Amino acid sequence: MASEKRVHARPIPAKAGIGLRFQHHQAVLDVRPDVAWMEVHTENYMGGGTPLRYLEATRRDVPISLHGVGLSLGSADGLDPAHLERVRQVAERIEPALMSEHIAWSVVGGTYLADLLPLPMTEEALAVVCRHVDQMQTYLKRRVLVENPSTYLAFRHSTIPEWEFIAAVADCTGCGILCDVNNIYVSARNHGWDASAYLAALPPAVIGEIHLAGHAVRPLPDGSILRIDDHASRVCEDVWALYREALARFGPIPTLIEWDNDIPPLDVLLGEAARADTLIAETRSEIAHADAA
Amino acid sequence: MPTLLELQYAMRSSLVQDDDEAASALLAAGVALDRLNIYRNTIVTGLTKSLRLSFPAVERLVGAEFFDGAVRHFIAAYPPRAAYLDQYGGEFSDFLRDFPPATSLVYLADVARLEWAVNGALHAPDAEPLDLAALKAVDCDDQARVSFVAHPSVRLLRADYPVDDIWRAVLACDDQALAGFDMDGGPVHLLVERRATGVEVVPLDAPAWHFLVDLCAGRPLQSALDREVELDASAALAQHLAAGRFTAFRLAAPEPEPTSPEAVV
Repeated sequence: MASEKRVHARPIPAKAGIGLRFQHHQAVLDVRPDVAWMEVHTENYMGGGTPLRYLEATRRDVPISLHGVGLSLGSADGLDPAHLERVRQVAERIEPALMSEHIAWSVVGGTYLADLLPLPMTEEALAVVCRHVDQMQTYLKRRVLVENPSTYLAFRHSTIPEWEFIAAVADCTGCGILCDVNNIYVSARNHGWDASAYLAALPPAVIGEIHLAGHAVRPLPDGSILRIDDHASRVCEDVWALYREALARFGPIPTLIEWDNDIPPLDVLLGEAARADTLIAETRSEIAHADAA
Repeated sequence: MPTLLELQYAMRSSLVQDDDEAASALLAAGVALDRLNIYRNTIVTGLTKSLRLSFPAVERLVGAEFFDGAVRHFIAAYPPRAAYLDQYGGEFSDFLRDFPPATSLVYLADVARLEWAVNGALHAPDAEPLDLAALKAVDCDDQARVSFVAHPSVRLLRADYPVDDIWRAVLACDDQALAGFDMDGGPVHLLVERRATGVEVVPLDAPAWHFLVDLCAGRPLQSALDREVELDASAALAQHLAAGRFTAFRLAAPEPEPTSPEAVV
């Protein structure tokens, strides 16, 4: 039992992983794909039965990251203790190598608004998020990562640039940052920010994971274009370019390919992961050359 | 400046009740109000997908377009309370019962109730069946006082129409069977449970169903036996034990106070 536990506790390597969704549970067990790690949404494994059995079988082969989408770290009226306990129970059973959540909110007054909603970038919201990250880390007895959001609107009274907000959360709570490069690109294009400057403002030492995904490009009636983070297509070339910048700045980092809608065959995900792996390997050799020089 | 809580309530009014008045004052200059639609659409699409997974037979009975419309009304009236969508939709059968456009399908709400029971069994926590050796070791004099704890996947459901047959025929797209149901055949008594192979819906006769309801409610064995004199109760009990329908037992106090039957849906 002890040796089995050591295998599960393997850390997530600085390589590419894939988001595991129900559609691929059986294929992953049949094929045993050559991928270094996998990530699942914590909320999909809160019951018993088949999903958990698949995940328990899968984690014998690869380390697992638990990515939460419903804790609502930005809720003004507090974290739902029942939900935090459900997260803890999944973690106890799966023994993930990483756990993460979002800089967002989705619960108010006992209603779950099933999306990752934007926060106003204010001192009050920053204090709320920091308090809840502290609470989450204390309850789970581990460090977590928080992910930058993709957003489609901004609030009038925001005063803190998003990149400063996220760096401050990491600084105040000791948590790490899950840098979603696609989200940076989407939000930067939607709000007119400089995506490279956003990356440059994040503290490299606390970047624990990178996310890559596809997004939709939607023309609006007024002639402008809105980018929507729908995780329904391949990573676009601009985001791959931004990812190279991220690797150059942060070094080799575990990188996840996320795909949540119109989910393609497993091979397509593995192809995207292979491309990320190639870029990580290039970064590693560039660093080696630089060290040798 | 609005507090974070005020902002979040304003967003809820906008996204769930389509009331943008408070939210519109919060958006930065140049942000069009229709940006809220992106979030509204994501919420409705996600919840509709979740309900479609839980109520596939209801969707086929009413058609995708009707289903989506009914779901929109349902979401506005009963938004989810937690980020645990496996548990979202418990009120859908009651909603459909009172939803005027759906009342002509008299069995629709009961099909929804069956699908909700199937969904509950599917996602129920894992639990080990009770230790039969420990049960056998109970002193003969105490056996009458044995009271069971039901496995969390067990659901017991009574309906006025043959919803189990309807549900099977709809999911199998068996139009011939669908045309031939006897709607006046009297109520059905169903056991829904998760087995290793998947969720099963099992029709029981009324005495067997009532006996299992009593046991799942924690009624002491002798008391449950006394109520079902027409039943071969020892055979029924042996079946329940072999199927792992209980996870524990205790010895009830001499004056039993059965709990409310949580498994009955």
